[in-house]
Amino acid sequence: MMAGTQIPVPLEIGRANEHDVKIRWQNGHESVYLARELRLKCPCAGCVDEMTGAVRVIATGVPAEVHPLAIRPVGRYAIAIDWSDGHRTGIYSFELLRTLCACEQCRTAGQ
Amino acid sequence: MAVTTEHVLQALRAVQDPDLKRDLVSLGFIKHLTVNGGSVAFQIELTTPACPVRDLMREEAKRAVSAIPGVSSVEIGMTSQVRSSMSAMPAGGLIPTIKNVIPIASGKGGVGKSTVSANLALALAKSGARVGLMDADVYGPTIPTLLGITGQPEMEEATRRIFPIEQYGLKVISMGFFMKPEEAVVWRGPMLHKTVEQFLGTVIWGELDYLLVDLPPGTGDVQLSLCQLIPITGAVIVSTPQDVALNIAQKAIAMFKKLNAPVLGIIENMSEYVCPKCGHHEEIFGTGGARRTAERMQIPLLGEIPLATPIRAASDAGRPIVLSEPGSPSAKAFFAAAEQLAARVSIRAMQGELAAPVKVTF
Repeated sequence: MMAGTQIPVPLEIGRANEHDVKIRWQNGHESVYLARELRLKCPCAGCVDEMTGAVRVIATGVPAEVHPLAIRPVGRYAIAIDWSDGHRTGIYSFELLRTLCACEQCRTAGQ
Repeated sequence: MAVTTEHVLQALRAVQDPDLKRDLVSLGFIKHLTVNGGSVAFQIELTTPACPVRDLMREEAKRAVSAIPGVSSVEIGMTSQVRSSMSAMPAGGLIPTIKNVIPIASGKGGVGKSTVSANLALALAKSGARVGLMDADVYGPTIPTLLGITGQPEMEEATRRIFPIEQYGLKVISMGFFMKPEEAVVWRGPMLHKTVEQFLGTVIWGELDYLLVDLPPGTGDVQLSLCQLIPITGAVIVSTPQDVALNIAQKAIAMFKKLNAPVLGIIENMSEYVCPKCGHHEEIFGTGGARRTAERMQIPLLGEIPLATPIRAASDAGRPIVLSEPGSPSAKAFFAAAEQLAARVSIRAMQGELAAPVKVTF
């Protein structure tokens, strides 16, 4: 019905373990996101410069044990995460999350 | 051989909904089926009262059942139950009583988006649907003028929630209700976001089949907020036929695509001018541009609305043309577009029922 390729959509967003996030995609692929790495990839304007794309979030300023407290859906295209360090302004689009998949298959395909 | 309900259902399995491309029985459309000797009676429950193929389906169903040996009479009632596209909504969402939210968008201003919104909403309401119209064009709210509304909405004191104004069978809310004509909204994004949230969450809409949202032109804060706050059913893009308008309309389409919000279709407004004196057709802005764009982008063309003085005059008088001159060619164009829109929403809702919503279990 719509032109071009559809954006990737998750089937389920849940836990990989106590703190890490797991996404099961509609095409069957599974992605696991380590909590702290996902926090450091926050795309909000406070963490990434809107004009240059330069990362502003300082890794050493983020607690080692940072983890999501809650995950909320945003419209049909993204999720927002409430982090244990109080940060909560990032909107992680499904598209971004799909590219952040760190599995062996996706990493080699990306290179 | 005695006629049984099974015979009737078997016959009805051969009748398809041309839009949903499935038969009436497996779609669950057949209700209250009774067989009394040779007399058969049932209801066909459509997914929208504005169904463009309702008469066709009724005729086909009648023909199919009449052909069963032993059937002497067939009584068919037509009803409708609008399906919701909001199944992806987490429990306790912002608008649990609204089944479908349809933003009306355009790339640029001045294409007649508000006039199209008002007439589409009224056409849907006339078909028997429960319809709301949210004027989210906070900068230039024109819906109150188009619908001849001068009153102010009332507030429920205990909860501080607002009742929409009811006019011509529509429930209407507009920024224009809360501002003096000489005032202007000069706001940054967060205030706009808050207003959209309030229009959705604190207005007492009640049960609605369709909520049409008249957006400001362009691809800004209001559009983004709306798509973030709720899983919208799908957007309608209004454009005039010129290339320049269509090129910008494509930006609106791209925005919705980025937000994973479907585009239900394009409506070409000011499609052609028909001289009321001589009947000559003049394509002032060219014509068919939206049809070509729709084809290229594989988006349905929902309708082509002519550039006609009576549309403008009826809008200025506060009584849109689908009410003031329902038999006119312009009004018919709006009714046809509303039916096409309702059909696309039904298709979308049925697809939504089949596709699993995103489950967040964290």
